[in-house]
Amino acid sequence: MDFNFPIITLLILTPIIGALTLSLTNSNHIKDKTILIAGLWITIGEFFLSLLLPLFYDVEKNGYQFIEFHSWFEQLDINYYVGVDGIAIPLILLTTFLIPICLLCSWKSIKKRVKEYVIYFLLLESLVIGVFVSIDLLVFYVFFEAVLIPMFLIIGIWGGENRVYASFKFFLYTLAGSVLMLLAIIYIVLASQTANIDIIKNINFDENIEIILFLCFFASFAVKVPMFPFHTWLPDAHVQAPTSGSVILAGVLLKLGAYGFLRLSIPFFDFASIYFQPLIFTLSCIAIIYTSIVALRQEDMKKMIAYSSVAHMGFVTIGLFTLTNDGINGAYFQMISHGLVSAALFLIVGVIYDRQHTRLIKDYSGLSIVMPKYSFFFMIFMLASVGLPGTSGFIGEFLVIISTISINIYLTIFTAIGVVLGAAYMLLLFKNVNFGELKEKLSEIKDLEFIEIIYFSLLGFFVILLGVYPKILFNLIDKSVGLIII
Amino acid sequence: MINLFSFIPEILILSLILISLLIGLFYKSSKNILTGINSIGFLFIAYLFISFGDSFEGTESLLKDFNVIILSKIIIALFTSIYLLLINKSLVNESIYRYEFLLFILFATLGSFVLISSDNFLTAFIGIELQSLSLYLMAAFNTKNSQSNEAGIKYFSLGALSSGFLLFGISMVYFDNASIQFSEIKNVTYFTEIGLTLIVIALFFKVSAAPFHIWTPDVYEGSPTISVLFFATLPKFASLIFLFRFFIEMDISSYSSLLFIFKFVCVLSLLIGAYGAMTQTVIKRLLAFSSINHIGFILLSILSFQFLSQGIFFFYLIIYLVTSFGVFSILLTLRSNLGEIKLISDLSGLKTHNKSKAIALLVLFFSLAGIPPFAGFFAKFFILTASMNEGLIYLSLIAVLSSVIAAFYYLRIIKTMFFNEGEDTLQENSMFYHNITYILSASFVTFFAFYPDPIIFIINNYFS
Repeated sequence: MDFNFPIITLLILTPIIGALTLSLTNSNHIKDKTILIAGLWITIGEFFLSLLLPLFYDVEKNGYQFIEFHSWFEQLDINYYVGVDGIAIPLILLTTFLIPICLLCSWKSIKKRVKEYVIYFLLLESLVIGVFVSIDLLVFYVFFEAVLIPMFLIIGIWGGENRVYASFKFFLYTLAGSVLMLLAIIYIVLASQTANIDIIKNINFDENIEIILFLCFFASFAVKVPMFPFHTWLPDAHVQAPTSGSVILAGVLLKLGAYGFLRLSIPFFDFASIYFQPLIFTLSCIAIIYTSIVALRQEDMKKMIAYSSVAHMGFVTIGLFTLTNDGINGAYFQMISHGLVSAALFLIVGVIYDRQHTRLIKDYSGLSIVMPKYSFFFMIFMLASVGLPGTSGFIGEFLVIISTISINIYLTIFTAIGVVLGAAYMLLLFKNVNFGELKEKLSEIKDLEFIEIIYFSLLGFFVILLGVYPKILFNLIDKSVGLIII
Repeated sequence: MINLFSFIPEILILSLILISLLIGLFYKSSKNILTGINSIGFLFIAYLFISFGDSFEGTESLLKDFNVIILSKIIIALFTSIYLLLINKSLVNESIYRYEFLLFILFATLGSFVLISSDNFLTAFIGIELQSLSLYLMAAFNTKNSQSNEAGIKYFSLGALSSGFLLFGISMVYFDNASIQFSEIKNVTYFTEIGLTLIVIALFFKVSAAPFHIWTPDVYEGSPTISVLFFATLPKFASLIFLFRFFIEMDISSYSSLLFIFKFVCVLSLLIGAYGAMTQTVIKRLLAFSSINHIGFILLSILSFQFLSQGIFFFYLIIYLVTSFGVFSILLTLRSNLGEIKLISDLSGLKTHNKSKAIALLVLFFSLAGIPPFAGFFAKFFILTASMNEGLIYLSLIAVLSSVIAAFYYLRIIKTMFFNEGEDTLQENSMFYHNITYILSASFVTFFAFYPDPIIFIINNYFS
């Protein structure tokens, strides 16, 4: 279908323009609620705008669609070159879907500096979308790095007690990885005389150089995913961030790393991707087993879910680097599913944290007696996280495990153990919080409110829809994934 | 035969100096007239260069003009005219206003002009001295403050030492070549090499590259902030342009020992600039170390001059100038109970106090740290591109790692402004020109990425 409307630029610019407009309002005269509502409308509008992408996307065609091109720095052939393909669209939708939920979940919990808060989320949204749509290396890098700024401020301003430490660690860890990628990008741009991802894909580098370049990209993406030895920033950032910060961090920002692997590392470095397969499998296996065991021993719910994120992202990296169709499809599915499920789990924790101001598991028990609706949603997302068939968590993990069989049977065994461990800590968490005797302090606690029910049911709906009918996602991504493996 | 035509800008500055001197002497309440006249004068000089720049070319005498020189003189003239607008209120706030301050600026700018376009060592020396003597006086301008006096003395004694190096180097080069003309330095014996090394060391001192940077933090801390804004920008800019020309015209890259010294100084500046600022609590000291880190980047671009590099070098300098003007003009409008703003913690809660200043500082510091999408990132990106193209991979690696370390201390300032709740120690003066300056510079830094064409066009135009 012919579509000349600059929809992608519009997607990037809408939140920015919204943020600028909000920043020009005088906050003394306008109530905080009004600003939140305005922000919510902007993001909901953005969500419907982004729905145009899958509606008008032609799944039969190869390559990018909705392309826009403006020259930027001509000497180096660096251009503002954006477009989407099958693997970008679901992530864009995930982003535009989660941001309104982030604003909704902060309806009551954010009390200070509301205007700033909304503005940072809007900026974050357009920057994240920018990462997913760029087909130019420098444009990709600019958006990829710029995401740090609003996230740094969100953790730092509205975070918990140790927020300064967490936000600095988040920023510097990611920056240190990214600058190495910047050098690699410069090398590639100089060597190939272009920054166009589509063209660079077909250029072959010398094997030794490819290994070094791969490691530079790996440094950046592995921190972002995060993979095993580079994951230590994540628990801190999650524990200190406000609920909405954790939601967007787990839901979208972690996907940036995996998306980077899928979009850049694997297509660019054919040789190095195979060369480093064992390393990545080993690190991912360690991540799955180790962080699951660590999660078992956590007392803080948010920390437990943060560690479970590391474990789930381990499946994603394994799937991606099997370099098979099944593996990548599964990994991609797991990305989307984890985006929904972990976001929902952080929201679940956020609900009781807002009411009781503690996240320790031992402070809760028997919530199912006073909060039946809450327990119901908790159960859905817990089961999705465990990977029960019928929820979205199952399909991704299943495909990844299947695809590992042809590569190495030990890999399959370790990932399968990971699934069991995942079930262990999630079920333990669910049991301790929802069953048992009701504590006296908790007898006054209120069940879910209307707004909370709305976003939990939306998330639950998509979790189950993807679990029952995964084809809607596979239809969209199949062709693009096929292009990556070749 | 000397063609006076090519001296017109310098003669104009000289006449501005004389006029200002007369007005200042006879009309005591003349500060706005003085800045007005001079500011317009410098705008006129910039205009002269923009429209008649080409006709200043081609003189075979003491001065030599070509595109680099014209562009840098335009930049200096424009920024001086902005700077002149900032001085009155800042000095009055400190109650140290005297019209001589303006004369120092004019003399320093004259020195910069001479230095930039000098074609032999003697004019270069005169330019450097004219510039430096004014700077010493500006450092010590707050005569009631012992720290300011100390800064002036420190600056002077170390500056004199470096001038000694410079003269000694020049005489050694002269001894070997029997000429002080740049183009006639050909002998590659130890004398020339040592002489050139000494000259380069003196220049490194002037631009405060490590390990010749020791004076910088102290002088920055002691001097009045308005003088620091000047030290950090225009004379340094002129010295860097001269260093750049010197590097190319002397063909420094053919002397392996000098090249090694350049690389060594570059690495050391990058690292000391990054590490030195980590534990600083005084904001001007921190900015001093941050400027050393930036000098490291600039030296990197000089080292990789072959690839588009004149353009890239200028690009970085322009963005650095704009950012510094923004940062300092914000600092100049803020005061704590005790006078000028001093500690980083004085900035705490600036976000709740004055939003636009806090956001502008956020943007400017992220730009200095080289985080996209701000202009500072693109400046660093192009320098790294040039140096990677030159094969200086280890230097580039050190540069990016040092910028990660540097990001830490910029984040510390941002943290103080944004994360801490405000105390009521912060006072503000509404200053029209300062506000305009910081708003312009912050919006330039922010929106550069959306529309880089004008800057790219200017640079291409002068270097094609």
